[in-house]
Amino acid sequence: MGAIGYSIIGLLAALGTPIFVVMSLFAMLAFYFAEVEISAVAIEIYRLAQAPTLLTIPLFTFAGYLLAESKSPQRLLKLAEAFLGWLPGGVAIVSLCVCAFFTAFTGASGVTIIALGGLIYPMLLKEQYSEKFSLGLITTSGSLGLLFPPSLPIILYGIVAKVDINELFIAGIIPGTLLVLILAGWSVYNGKGSGSTRIPFSFSNAKLAMKNARYELPLPFIILGGIYGGFITVTEAAAITAFYTLIMVVVLYKDIKIKDDLPNIVKDSMTLVGAILLILACALGLTNYLVDEEVPMKILEAMKQLIQNKWMFLLCLNIFLLIVGSLMDIFSAIIVVVPLILPIAQQFDVHPIHLAIIFLTNLEIGYITPPVGINLFISSFRFEKSVLSIYKASAPYLFLLLGALMLITYVPWLSLAWV
Amino acid sequence: MIQKLDLALEKIAFSILSICLFGMLFLTLFNIVARWFGESFLWVDPLVRHMVFLSAFMGGVMATGKGNHIKLDIVSRALESLNKKNAKKAVDAIGSIAAIVACYFLFMAGKDFAVVELEYGREAFLGIHSGWLVSIIPFGFAFIALRFITVTLKNFLKDV
Repeated sequence: MGAIGYSIIGLLAALGTPIFVVMSLFAMLAFYFAEVEISAVAIEIYRLAQAPTLLTIPLFTFAGYLLAESKSPQRLLKLAEAFLGWLPGGVAIVSLCVCAFFTAFTGASGVTIIALGGLIYPMLLKEQYSEKFSLGLITTSGSLGLLFPPSLPIILYGIVAKVDINELFIAGIIPGTLLVLILAGWSVYNGKGSGSTRIPFSFSNAKLAMKNARYELPLPFIILGGIYGGFITVTEAAAITAFYTLIMVVVLYKDIKIKDDLPNIVKDSMTLVGAILLILACALGLTNYLVDEEVPMKILEAMKQLIQNKWMFLLCLNIFLLIVGSLMDIFSAIIVVVPLILPIAQQFDVHPIHLAIIFLTNLEIGYITPPVGINLFISSFRFEKSVLSIYKASAPYLFLLLGALMLITYVPWLSLAWV
Repeated sequence: MIQKLDLALEKIAFSILSICLFGMLFLTLFNIVARWFGESFLWVDPLVRHMVFLSAFMGGVMATGKGNHIKLDIVSRALESLNKKNAKKAVDAIGSIAAIVACYFLFMAGKDFAVVELEYGREAFLGIHSGWLVSIIPFGFAFIALRFITVTLKNFLKDV
């Protein structure tokens, strides 16, 4: 009877039923078979209202959407171009950096490709980069800044795994920079052969670009300086960032009109927030049931027959997470998989911060992993290209990032140096 | 009629969401500023957390209207690329019906919890009883279920 019920729920999930529905049905059925009142599911859902760092999710998302809808992308592109345009592959590197910045703020929700793709793609083609290189770069950049603060997946991971978000923010900086550097190296290699023009560095240009982007420049310092200087908590940093960004784009730059643009930004950002938090709420009952039933320990027992050491475990974990990342969106993957993996990783003596960075890097790569990595479809839709051509364009980037993933997995220092 | 009801639900959800978003933003800032002056308002933190909680449901109502709840849409996407419009509509309708059923049971679960909390709970902050705070759950799921119903009916009537 139970097997039939769970199979139907599995089928509903495969047919595209919203994940929060699948989670709640699963939890209610599990509680029913365990002869527990289903009001227990509601009690679990209410636990969400007790999470102190939850506020960071709506506020940072709102700030990210404000930035994406303003003219900040153009200003930051000009700024990065003024400082990095002299490098071979400079325009591509500029694109990588700006995309990473925006993804950190918008949580790799596809906004980067939609908001920046239209600006960067023609710019790269104008610089004589091939169509394949340009499409691959934008598709990959859509999730590139995921390891940098204040990325939404980092916050969500911290809440689900009960790991200090401040430590996660700082742990992601070196691995995140490594990913950007590897792709920058690839851009330099391609930039040499493409005949792209290099923009010589000039102080007047740099000064002008800095003047134009003067209000965006303090943002990273407000977040990182505020938190690590011990002046504010992560939650307060989220409120200050959202408020500062609101004033910046509405009052100082006047990019966003309160009546015409702001309601849509509130709608779009909060729709994403609602979709994520509903899953998180409904998953609380399910994960509690799985932990009560000692499901992670049963998986561990089965795994111990095949896997004897930490390094073998990490390899299997990478393969598993890449598959998860290419099939599920990052938010559901964190909510569902983290509670299962966490106790197993502890048994294999994997540091929780290191595990978080491995987890998030895998999911970042999952965005461009065929057959269903979501960035591949967003790019296909945005640039009106076949999914197959996007697969081909992203393949070199995928292999480069897999190399970086190996480094991040097997050199824990990269994640733990500053922790 | 359905169209009007759907629009009204959207407007109510959006209004609550806007109040919650700006409420959480300005209340948190207010608390930071108050701290500079050595003041601390203990009700701000739980109030803001419940605003986030309410936002989760109202955002869910908006996501239902836009049809962009997070889901594994491999089948739906495949059907779309194969131009099987009717099959895609059927699959979407199954998802919506499952959502209405799930929201009904979640509403019942939330209602039971709220009834118990109203009887045995206590004042949480600013004179608000914990039972009313728990009532966000049945209210939220009823709202989402209603939106799923209006959206499904609207799509159905559009095709007829």
